[in-house]
Amino acid sequence: MIESQRHSYHLVDPSPWPISGSLGALATTVGGVMYMHSFQGGATLLSLGLLFILYTMFVWWRDVLRESTLEGHHTKVVQLGPRYGSIPFIVSEVMFLFAFFRASSHSSLAPTVEIGGIWPPKGIEVLDPREIPFLNTPILLSSGAAVTWAHHAILAGKEKRAVYALVATVSLALVFTGFQGMEYYQAPFTISDSIYGSTFFLATGFHGFHVIIGTLFLIICGIRQYLGHLTKEHHVGFEAAAWYWHFVDVVRLFLFVSIYWWGGI
Amino acid sequence: MATALVRSGLLRTALRGGARNPAAPNRNFASSAHHDDAYETAKWEKITYLGIATCTVLAIYNLSKGHPHHDEPPAYPYMHIRNKEFPWGPDGLFERKHH
Repeated sequence: MIESQRHSYHLVDPSPWPISGSLGALATTVGGVMYMHSFQGGATLLSLGLLFILYTMFVWWRDVLRESTLEGHHTKVVQLGPRYGSIPFIVSEVMFLFAFFRASSHSSLAPTVEIGGIWPPKGIEVLDPREIPFLNTPILLSSGAAVTWAHHAILAGKEKRAVYALVATVSLALVFTGFQGMEYYQAPFTISDSIYGSTFFLATGFHGFHVIIGTLFLIICGIRQYLGHLTKEHHVGFEAAAWYWHFVDVVRLFLFVSIYWWGGI
Repeated sequence: MATALVRSGLLRTALRGGARNPAAPNRNFASSAHHDDAYETAKWEKITYLGIATCTVLAIYNLSKGHPHHDEPPAYPYMHIRNKEFPWGPDGLFERKHH
């Protein structure tokens, strides 16, 4: 930190990433609409927009890591920002997923006459909740236990154990995603098969998408732990990843109970 | 303004740990006491191994059973819904191809 700075706040430098992210989002939206309405060049604009967003994410977070890890701008009081920011972020994610549970309950608690007045709808063969769903739930829960192991290892200053624990966390996450892919492949119904298929794949699909995001988040934490970026006192990035991972875990429990089990028997 | 100054001064003192009475023990968060963390690390490592062992047994049991084969359901109007053509063709992206 600069010697003359006599306060503990981080005054950020001007950055091009907010506007580049906004332009990427604009290109993605316009390109997406063009693509879905079969306009010429829609696919190109959509791909460019997505690439632009991914590039912005990479360089923006690279800058944050440089400012925090290498330049020491993330003092105790600055760390409060990402901490407090994580809470409304996760709360908004809970509300996002709640909508899909709500849609599923709405359609299943009083099934309409158009789908035979029963749930699952007439003609829908559902997945057995005692098979892959019952296997994948403890896999994700074990991954949650492994991330707690990593957390305590970081706090105890056991750097190598923390790397092993994060490898275990990520491996279990990848096994989960693999089994989920297998389940999707073997499913006797698709997203276009009645309201059952729509709500099932919307809820489990968005959960799976969150698992993939959480896995990437944890891989980054694992690499940073390996490089010695995370210390006993300073590991906000890891804590945010762990909170996110627990949130994904809890959503899986609700998915299993309400959509696979209650909604599938 | 004055309160803000006092407050930020207090905050700074608290953050530096400056005004702390040297005789008083360092106040740590419950989870950051060194001794406990070594214990908790070992405990959660064991819980993780237990979880992995359980999942392995479950996975072997599950995969050895084989999966049931389903009959094609009748073409109810709410099945295989198509309102308009996808930009990439007749099938959904993640749908199994039947033809």
